[in-house]
Amino acid sequence: MVGQNAGDGKPDEPAPEGRGRYLGGWTYNLPADEGPSPLALPWELFKAMFREEWRLHKSFVGSVGSGFFPVVIFFFSLVLAATSPVILRNIDQPTILLGLHIAAILYGLGVGALARIGEQVMTRRLGQVNMLLQLPSLQPISFKTVMGVFFFKDAAYYILYSIIPLVGGIAAAMPMTRITPQGAATLFVTMLLTFMMGMALSFLLSALSIRSRAASGAGALVILILAAAAWPLRLISPGRLLLPLGFWEDHQPWQLFASLVVVLVLSAGAIMLMKERFAPPEKRYASRLVPLEATFAFSGDMRTLVAKEWIELRRSGALGAVFTGFLGPLLGIFAIIWIFSRGMGVPLDFNVVFYGGILGFLGLMTYSWLTNLEPNEFLNVQPVGVDRVIRAKLVLYFLLTTPVSFAYIALIGMLNGELSLVPLGALVGFSTMVYVAAVAGRMTGLRANTMLFDANVLGRFSAAIIPPLIAVTLISFWIEKSPLACWISLGLLSAGLLVASRSLFAGLGKRWGHEPFGI
Amino acid sequence: MAVIEVEKLCKRYGDFDALKDVSLAIEKGEFFGLLGPNGAGKTTLVRILTGQLALTAGRARTMGISPDEPVALKMKVGIVPEAESPPTFLTAIEFLQLVCRIRRLDGMDDRVARWMDFFQLDEKKDVLCRDLSKGQRQKVMLAAAFISEPELLILDEPFINLDPIFQKRLREYLQGVVKEGRTVFMCSHILEMVEKLCTRLAVINQGRIVAQGTLDEIRSRQGERLEDVFMRLVEAG
Repeated sequence: MVGQNAGDGKPDEPAPEGRGRYLGGWTYNLPADEGPSPLALPWELFKAMFREEWRLHKSFVGSVGSGFFPVVIFFFSLVLAATSPVILRNIDQPTILLGLHIAAILYGLGVGALARIGEQVMTRRLGQVNMLLQLPSLQPISFKTVMGVFFFKDAAYYILYSIIPLVGGIAAAMPMTRITPQGAATLFVTMLLTFMMGMALSFLLSALSIRSRAASGAGALVILILAAAAWPLRLISPGRLLLPLGFWEDHQPWQLFASLVVVLVLSAGAIMLMKERFAPPEKRYASRLVPLEATFAFSGDMRTLVAKEWIELRRSGALGAVFTGFLGPLLGIFAIIWIFSRGMGVPLDFNVVFYGGILGFLGLMTYSWLTNLEPNEFLNVQPVGVDRVIRAKLVLYFLLTTPVSFAYIALIGMLNGELSLVPLGALVGFSTMVYVAAVAGRMTGLRANTMLFDANVLGRFSAAIIPPLIAVTLISFWIEKSPLACWISLGLLSAGLLVASRSLFAGLGKRWGHEPFGI
Repeated sequence: MAVIEVEKLCKRYGDFDALKDVSLAIEKGEFFGLLGPNGAGKTTLVRILTGQLALTAGRARTMGISPDEPVALKMKVGIVPEAESPPTFLTAIEFLQLVCRIRRLDGMDDRVARWMDFFQLDEKKDVLCRDLSKGQRQKVMLAAAFISEPELLILDEPFINLDPIFQKRLREYLQGVVKEGRTVFMCSHILEMVEKLCTRLAVINQGRIVAQGTLDEIRSRQGERLEDVFMRLVEAG
């Protein structure tokens, strides 16, 4: 019995000597004759980890912000589902389901690299963050057990935090759409299984990478080949790879059961691959700060901090992720639009100016990555304010995104035969990127990754970002009908965004100058 | 001349008073020790004095500068925080170079070489700070505080994680700092070290200063040990 003495409903009392166990603030008493249940400890650990996860989120954005995140997801999903008969009228149901399940597996892949997190915690590479994952360092419990519990805790947390609100929003739109209760329930099951398959796969690959990077790379290659076989090669149906998606085609219950087996097998494999002990790593590097100051001399008195940021970006291994996080979605959006317009015959006349607007929004991910490398707590005792580090990160942000953005706009211009619109697309892209970075810097500082989970910040951020992006999108649709009016209005809009950005940059010191560094 | 002046300082978190009417004046050239049990308010006071935390009421000046001007204040003070936290992805040398640049110090290479040598960090000079031991990380943080040779050092548990050799070396260095006329403000639980080093001290308990003065002034009788003084004052509170 956990938290209370069995049967009597009274608060905890000291366990009888030799029979009680204590963990994370809860006492539970073991039955006198039966011995410890094999599931008692994992269950206790699961609850403790779940609380830890909730408190970690709460420490980032507060309980209100953290609690409202699923609410935001719910309403976002509700609005999208309710308007889908209009905005998705030319897209058939299998395509919508394919999109939802691809999103679910990508989400699972994104949050499932648990083995690497485990390794980093065990080798004290997560800075000041100490977690229950570290228990095996000092307590008589295996790391494999802890990682197994951690996997299911993470799955449960993210399902509650995002999958349930997402499907709940779709279900709530039933009266306004043709979605049936059975359809919503099926969607919940298939998306949940797809998400967990992604998580388990990512967990397995990350566990494999701890044993052998080559094996992990080979595993990732196999997955890419299978994905390519589904699309663009069309050698295999996506439903054969994503069994929960296949259920929508074949309606065979074994597909759901097999999906669950896949999740269990992959996660069990990952747990078996986990090491119990980690050798403390020691990477050595030649000093690069001073040489890089010369490289970044153009940034004036920011050059030292920009050099520091660059070093951290390279050594943390995040540079690839930053590029992929920016370029990947850009290419993905172009690919999706191309598929719809050329592959499915759905006319989507997005011109190069529209893509310019998209650049700004995706730039947010790059800024978020850049602020997620190092808490910089050591700077709390040095004469430098948070606003200076924000500025250094923004310099790096522009260095990384500007060439990619201009190349992207030029490429789209060529592919669409709209070279004359490239200068306008570049102007719109540049101004929205600057504006989004300025708003993100001003509102989230060095905590973009966590503060955007705060419903209050997310609401204000959306209010600042969405209207100009909608304006850019709407004006871009009119460019063939009224080119002069569009050029003028987009020019004025871009100028307005740049002026607003200047004001936001100027206010960084006032907003962040007195804030401490730290997560 | 007082390098630290605190008058009726209060720090409140909701209903909890972390500091209540704290008043202190620390003169140039003093080696001042702040003692107190866990949670007494030592680190809160240090964080306010170093501009890391806003005060709720009262007045504080460090080197004549208000905590509301944290950048200007930190420029004049060398600070070692309670927990070592050098940068994850920089080497010790790169971190010290960064500190020299931030503090606009000349002779960067000589300064860095001196402190790398002082703390015998040369062998680890190209290792990322995250891969250093706790003691080595503490040495990096100490070096970062000392490298500008500031007029005032504010040190929160500076001896923690150091081996006896480096505890001795650090103790001698800090004594030299005071001999030069500079000032040291130190929080420590190592009473033996406080007794050896500090010219004046204060005891804080439950957010209040319960005693301050020279060791002789706060003793209740001749020859009372600092440990006994500390226990008496804290238990009385």
